[in-house]
Amino acid sequence: MVKRQKLALPLGVAISLVALAGCSSAPEPAADVTLSVQDYFSGDGAAIADEVYNACAAEVGVKIDVTHAPSDGYQTKLLQQISSRTLPDVAMVEGAQVPNNAQTGAYAVLTDYGIDGAGIPDGALGYGKLDGKLYAIAPVVNSIALFYRTDLLEAAGLTPPTTWDELMADAAALTKGDQYGFAFSAPATNEGTWQYLPFLWSNGGDETDIQSPQAAEALQYLTDMVKKGYVSQSVLTWGQNDLTEQFVAGNAAMMINGPWIFSALAKAPDLKWGTVSIPTPDGGPTVAPLGGEAFTLPLNADADRMKISAKLLGCIVGPEGQKGFAKNGSGVPTISDVATEALATYPNLAAFAETIQTARSRTEKLGVDWPNTSIAIYTAIQLALTGQETPEKALEIGAQEIGKG
Amino acid sequence: MSSLSGASISRRRGNANVRSERRFVWLMLAPALLYVAGFFAYPIVKNVVMGFQDYSITTFYTGEAPWVGLANYAQVFASRVFSVAVVNTAVFTVVSISLQFAIGLALAVFFHRKFPLSVALRSLLLLPWLLPLLASTAVWRWILDQDSGILNQALGFFHLTSSAIPWLSSPSFAMISLIAVKVWVAVPFNLAILYGGLQGIPGELYEAASIDGASPGQAFRFITLPLLRPVIGVVIVLGIIYTLESLDIILGLTGGGPANSTDTLSTLSYLESFERYSFGTGAAISNIIIVVSMIFTFIYLRIDRRPAQ
Amino acid sequence: MSTIVSAASRRARRPRYLSTAFGILVVVIMLFPVYWMVNASLQRGGSAIGSTLIPINLSWSGYEAALREQGQNLVTSIIVSAGTVAFTLLISVPAAYILAKFVRRGTSIFILALLVAQMVPGIVLANALYSVYSSLGILNSIPGLILADASRCIPFSIILLRAFMLALPSELLEAARIDGASHFRAFRSIALPLSQNAIITAGLFSFLFTWGDFIFAVTLTTTADVRPITLGIYNYLAAQQQEWGPVMATSVIAALPAMIILMAAQRYITAGSLSGALK
Repeated sequence: MVKRQKLALPLGVAISLVALAGCSSAPEPAADVTLSVQDYFSGDGAAIADEVYNACAAEVGVKIDVTHAPSDGYQTKLLQQISSRTLPDVAMVEGAQVPNNAQTGAYAVLTDYGIDGAGIPDGALGYGKLDGKLYAIAPVVNSIALFYRTDLLEAAGLTPPTTWDELMADAAALTKGDQYGFAFSAPATNEGTWQYLPFLWSNGGDETDIQSPQAAEALQYLTDMVKKGYVSQSVLTWGQNDLTEQFVAGNAAMMINGPWIFSALAKAPDLKWGTVSIPTPDGGPTVAPLGGEAFTLPLNADADRMKISAKLLGCIVGPEGQKGFAKNGSGVPTISDVATEALATYPNLAAFAETIQTARSRTEKLGVDWPNTSIAIYTAIQLALTGQETPEKALEIGAQEIGKG
Repeated sequence: MSSLSGASISRRRGNANVRSERRFVWLMLAPALLYVAGFFAYPIVKNVVMGFQDYSITTFYTGEAPWVGLANYAQVFASRVFSVAVVNTAVFTVVSISLQFAIGLALAVFFHRKFPLSVALRSLLLLPWLLPLLASTAVWRWILDQDSGILNQALGFFHLTSSAIPWLSSPSFAMISLIAVKVWVAVPFNLAILYGGLQGIPGELYEAASIDGASPGQAFRFITLPLLRPVIGVVIVLGIIYTLESLDIILGLTGGGPANSTDTLSTLSYLESFERYSFGTGAAISNIIIVVSMIFTFIYLRIDRRPAQ
Repeated sequence: MSTIVSAASRRARRPRYLSTAFGILVVVIMLFPVYWMVNASLQRGGSAIGSTLIPINLSWSGYEAALREQGQNLVTSIIVSAGTVAFTLLISVPAAYILAKFVRRGTSIFILALLVAQMVPGIVLANALYSVYSSLGILNSIPGLILADASRCIPFSIILLRAFMLALPSELLEAARIDGASHFRAFRSIALPLSQNAIITAGLFSFLFTWGDFIFAVTLTTTADVRPITLGIYNYLAAQQQEWGPVMATSVIAALPAMIILMAAQRYITAGSLSGALK
């Protein structure tokens, strides 16, 4: 089944682009070009994104058409667009999906278009790479850290934990009545894998070998938390959003979550909370996963149009764009200088900024094979946490399923 | 069911009659035929073919999908989750159909008699089907939450249970919860259709029966059920098809967990295609679902062909 | 309703309040989750976690957001649903009549095809339709959505209508033919009125299927111009920040016009529509 090439290009734009063909690089007021930008932001996030897009559109001298698609089924939408050659000019892609998308061949290598991510450290840049080629850049990245109730810890005479033993002890001390000491997300989705990774990686484990003793120890640690009753068994059904609700309702004294919930927490102004890096077995640096959305440049048969789109993309992921996206404190800008500025405005980002220094991209080693491992990991987590299998056996069962697909 | 142009009439009126009848039949049927052929032929064929191909995410761009014959099916049948999913699917389908139908029929019979507010109440019972599944499953997750859900709180308040029941967080209970929610959503479907069917049964038949001394139970067995049979058949066969392909309700309520306890063939198909990007195996599983549905369909067509009394 | 007055119906003239009470009980039990949804929509946090049985500290912010932002989407949903009902019935009623009363060799095959059509996963259809719609330029169009949503409704309606129409008395239709009426006349003047219940029920479910459709809404629209309510809800569900208050409020608000339409339609499902016919 060979798909015919299709161009989604209004006639007027085509004519103007022909006229533009001979022009040089200075942003000509090419008011007839309308570029399409697509993301899956909504609510506040969409408003902030719109500001960035409009500012960049003005700077590059184009008009833009922004689509905020639902986050549910976004990747499916990309697939439909890939198949019918109707991808937008600038498309947002969830970070962990970059390798699979890049593999299709529908996206441009950014360095070919003069976008090299200057000022972004290698770790964060690797987030958008496949086989060493840069396909996407994330203007802001996030990770996860430990949120805790400052008032509850104080009342119990505890300081924020830094080691696994301290975390378990604090969780034990804070579990009373309806309140669980600790909560994390362990559903049968990639969110479950995501929250397990800091425990796996900080213990010296690796996603390329999930049957290692370090992986089993990490899973055992979390299983013990549930078995001892410091963590509700409902974590098997809770996404990170549910964790926030439980935390705000006072049902969990500590939880693992990310900076995107700051605005939700702001809606409960009486809640006293703080953040700290996720505890590690011995107190060393936390190795947590990188998260966040990245922007790509889909291929287009019209080379001139792509050059203009590249400029737009460059602005969106550049310093000004990053400042814009960091406005609600939901992530840390990838360019180090811009990051420092953002931290001044959002002190609560400090724990995340620190974590991001040592964070890793989930797809850095496995690339396009990451989805299978992710599924294997959350399958193992569910088997272990429900008590159906020991952590070792659970990881073994998960590993068996990696060879598929 | 014989064609209207009985033999005697057409011999009297001649070929013109046969021609006009044929024209009538085709005119009435053509739009439906065109629509079904136009909308369904290609996707069905494509899905069947995909089951035999190595259809990856790259295929969406390049269009290349190497033929792998039965390899996808072999892989699917050999996987651990598949056997779990088959059992889950069977349990889920059989139990929820039985419950939906029984409750739907009981309510339909109840509402068959006229009483004040019956129209309003019957309409209100459409709400579970009317509300977006996204919202309904979220509400049910809150209700069934082990610690803070209202159900456990009520059960504890009335001392009906000693400890909180893990409705959604334990493999033993998750399927029960899923079936309950599915039945809740599907009762309106059964109720509305069976009610419509009941309304179509002439009242005189019941009156004649009661004059003859038949009890309500006998009337139900010998009048209602036989005359309702075509409608019952439809409700059940469609119920089976819809339940087999239920996806959003499972993903919204449990995501297939915990530990695969609510994974069915359709969630598995979704997982293969849209999380592993292995569209060939995903299509293979959905083809298996179609084959299973077709078995029930053949049974339905068989039963349907037997004339009603 | 039957015109024969018997002892039984004379007894029944006294309103059956006991049945009403039982009916209310059934509704209360079945609709508790709906009440919970309303409760959640009025909560400050927008979710039911930690909420009281009755919303004490009311917050209308969910409703404010929903009314402010979803009005247009609600209208879109109503138009698409109503349009789909009309389109579906137009195609399905004649087809079902033929399949019920004019048995030919291909009838079973066509019914089988209709049932198989119901088994195709929505996402498979949606993917196929996207390319076609995109090249035809009918994305983001109401007619486009109607056509797509009908794919769920037409097979179902034909199967359902046929089941009801099997009970239509052939003698009546033959009698009309003998009297000189055309096939179409017999269909229009006899079959249609007698099939009222079935048609309304089929229309009801076509409306419900379309109203609740998400997969076609999300696939076949790219802008906010034509955005059914099932899609509008996602405005409040960012990948990582979910506001359930407006979601619940929108669901509740959206249910109201739909309920009114459905209630009005249900009034027409009368009993014994065939009873007079046999005389």
